[in-house]
Amino acid sequence: MGQNLLDRAEGSQAARAGDVALEMRQVVRSYGTGEARVRALDGVDLTLDAGSWVAVMGPSGSGKSTLLQCAAGLDGVDAGQVLLFGEDLAGADDRRLTRLRRDTVGFVFQNFNLVASLTAEQNVALPLRLAGRRVGGAEVRRALDGVGLGDRGRHRPRELSGGQQQRVAIARAMVAKPKVLFADEPTGALDSTSARVVLSLLRRMVDGAGQTIAMVTHDPIAAAAADAVVFLADGRVVDRMERPSARRVAERLASLEV
Amino acid sequence: MFTLSLSTLRDRRQLFAGALVAIALGVALVQASLHVLTSVSDPVIPAGLSAAERDEMREGFVGASVVMGLQAPLVVFLAVFVVGSTCSFAVAQRRRDLALLRLLGAGRGQTRRLLVTESLVLGAAGALCGAPLGVVMTWIQTRVLEQVGFVPAGFQPVYWNWGAVLAAGATGAGIALLGSWNAARRAGRVRPLEAMADTGAAARVMTPGRWCAGVLSLALSALLVAGGQAADPIGAITIAMALSVVGAVALSALSPLVVPLVARLFGLVFRRSLLGGLAEANIRDGARRNASVAAPLITLVALVLGLSGALGVLARSIGVEQERLTRGDLVVTSADGASAARLAGIPGVADVSSQLAVPASVTAKVRKDGARAARPHTFDERVVAVDGAAYERARTLAPTSGSLADLHGDAVAVGPAVSAEGFSTPRVGDTVTVTADGVERVLRVVAVLPETLEIGDEFLIAKDALPTALLAAAPGESIVTVAPGASVDEVAERIRAAGIGDTESVAQWAQGKADVQQDGNDKVFAVLLGLAGVYALIGVINALVIATAERRTEFAVARLSGLERRQVVRMAVVEACAVATIGLVLGGLVAAAGMAGMAKSTAAATGTAIVVVPWGTLAATVLGAFAVTVGAAVLTARAATRERPAALAAART
Repeated sequence: MGQNLLDRAEGSQAARAGDVALEMRQVVRSYGTGEARVRALDGVDLTLDAGSWVAVMGPSGSGKSTLLQCAAGLDGVDAGQVLLFGEDLAGADDRRLTRLRRDTVGFVFQNFNLVASLTAEQNVALPLRLAGRRVGGAEVRRALDGVGLGDRGRHRPRELSGGQQQRVAIARAMVAKPKVLFADEPTGALDSTSARVVLSLLRRMVDGAGQTIAMVTHDPIAAAAADAVVFLADGRVVDRMERPSARRVAERLASLEV
Repeated sequence: MFTLSLSTLRDRRQLFAGALVAIALGVALVQASLHVLTSVSDPVIPAGLSAAERDEMREGFVGASVVMGLQAPLVVFLAVFVVGSTCSFAVAQRRRDLALLRLLGAGRGQTRRLLVTESLVLGAAGALCGAPLGVVMTWIQTRVLEQVGFVPAGFQPVYWNWGAVLAAGATGAGIALLGSWNAARRAGRVRPLEAMADTGAAARVMTPGRWCAGVLSLALSALLVAGGQAADPIGAITIAMALSVVGAVALSALSPLVVPLVARLFGLVFRRSLLGGLAEANIRDGARRNASVAAPLITLVALVLGLSGALGVLARSIGVEQERLTRGDLVVTSADGASAARLAGIPGVADVSSQLAVPASVTAKVRKDGARAARPHTFDERVVAVDGAAYERARTLAPTSGSLADLHGDAVAVGPAVSAEGFSTPRVGDTVTVTADGVERVLRVVAVLPETLEIGDEFLIAKDALPTALLAAAPGESIVTVAPGASVDEVAERIRAAGIGDTESVAQWAQGKADVQQDGNDKVFAVLLGLAGVYALIGVINALVIATAERRTEFAVARLSGLERRQVVRMAVVEACAVATIGLVLGGLVAAAGMAGMAKSTAAATGTAIVVVPWGTLAATVLGAFAVTVGAAVLTARAATRERPAALAAART
């Protein structure tokens, strides 16, 4: 069921409605061999409009992390197509994928993945440096200001709270102005107050700057902050909910987990 | 990018310090070997010594340069092995860091360049630190040589030779680069996805390169075991050394395959405790890490046991051979030929064969080291005066050509030492010039004896060719055969009572020869493995420190899940014991393979398969391996658990 429920014309509140950021067509991804072979993605169709924020939910093992990794070009697919702004990732070589990571996509993780030995400023500047750009202090400070941490630039990750670390990670992901931000359980390791701060930050980026976000989460409250929620079960998209609320998301999720 | 290197340096001090120590000490050791080798190969013999003293000193230097000639390649190998494995291990430990960089937009070339630049800087720093350390090492190595008597007291080696310093520095820096080059190439292929996994997707441990190195070295080891039939002392030691080295490389490369087995073993031993189960899982999970720590230990154990075993076999075979070659009941050592001559008159003595050491020189035309033309060479140590017929009755060593029965009058027999020293032997019928007591005589070669394990004598001369006075004053050994029916003990007692000299049974005498050889072997062992062994041991500690320092987060998580700090340290100790076990078992296996080869070759040479298990060394090695790994594990695990676990588990380190 459900593939035809996905309709790109429906439901995006984005400024540039109609522009397709990500399109996945009949994507299949399996792991293991022989008896142990598991189809993590079993024919996934998914469309993400530019300027919208989609949350991907599903029970453990439903394939949501794999979906995010395939969508971001971190993992290859066995069959099907992944089009990121019209560019097919299936046949991309490492050089193109590297360029993609520099210019097109940004990542935020559950465990922040900051480089412990670098200050917040240095962490934020890292993607620009890796891209071979000269990094101005103002640019980095602006990014940190944007996440409300303008005064913490000289701190190292260990000296920051979890919520602050995640905001540094968001600043780092956004500093190169990626077209899509991929977030893997961004609030998973945070207390509810910090989680709210991070979610409203993401909301502001979507509403204010038309940022496109794809987020994997298991938290209905986090999912409710998105524009739409896509439900995954056994490697297939089984439902899509526009303008979600935490209660409806929780109920739908519960029905999937039975 | 450079900021990143610098900050990584700050954060991963142990990693970089470990690599730096390995490189600097390796460079210092290679430099010291080169300095000492060149110094003893071209020694300055002080003026004002007697000819005999000068000869003795020169001989010591020749011995020293032979042993240093073996030590230098060994040290280079160890430096290459330890530096290479430490550097590639250090890169492997940073896999997740690299994956994160890739995720943030680093290209393959960038990660490679980062690692290569780092190793260049490290290599250069190591070479710089190593150079002054090398002066200290040169001093230590010289004192070792002095201690065992290879060089005279107060011998001054060359402390600074730019060639040696540069060669050693280039070796260290080059190997650091090569070691991380390979690892960097692999790191370039690290997929960004690996940063997403929480525990860092385990990289494949048995890479094709590892398989290739392991299987090839294993095949080469098998060839060495099979070919280890060389009976010649230096050859035997060389093969034992080469086998220890190649075998250790093979088993180090293949050791990840053994890790799960050892993990299982430890799981069984500690199956009642929670820590046992945890440790088993950790040992298995950290196959790459444990293999890296075990590698220098395997090499060290293989070298120590392999070499001491080989040297032990060599000494024992000399004893066995001498006993087998001697036909008689007693050996009498007398201070002069006049006493020895009285032996025949002792009641109960049936036969006497005296060998008197006469100060005389022999000049013969011989070739050495494959030189085309035979040149006159003077053997000026001594000659042994014998009675040909009696000698033939008392010794079972048959000449390769000629006959000992002809050894009378103006005759000479070529002894085993001439070929053992690397000369072509004169042929039967050739003439040699003997100078004794200022008188020159031309003697004809009537027999040539084959080489034996013991170097033995250079020339045997018929007694009647030498002045009687010279013979009467010459010290010597006599093989005495007791008449049938007479008691050996009583005859021995009579000989002693007559004041002729000391008596011992042939077995005791042969054992004495073996003991003398073992003494010499111990010195060789000290020179070969003294500093090199310490270096390998530092390599073990180094790898352990690097491995444990990188586990801070893992330990923190274990503590958050309810383990006390004490328990975490104990877990690390159990794992260190597992690593020590791997090192001892695999290193022992290499040594055992070498011993099997030597048993076969000695069986062929002496008729008895000789196996020497160096129990003392074995015990010391086992205790030392456990003491060092456990000690290092306790210290590093304590250091790694000093911080509050919550802070560590949260921050990604």
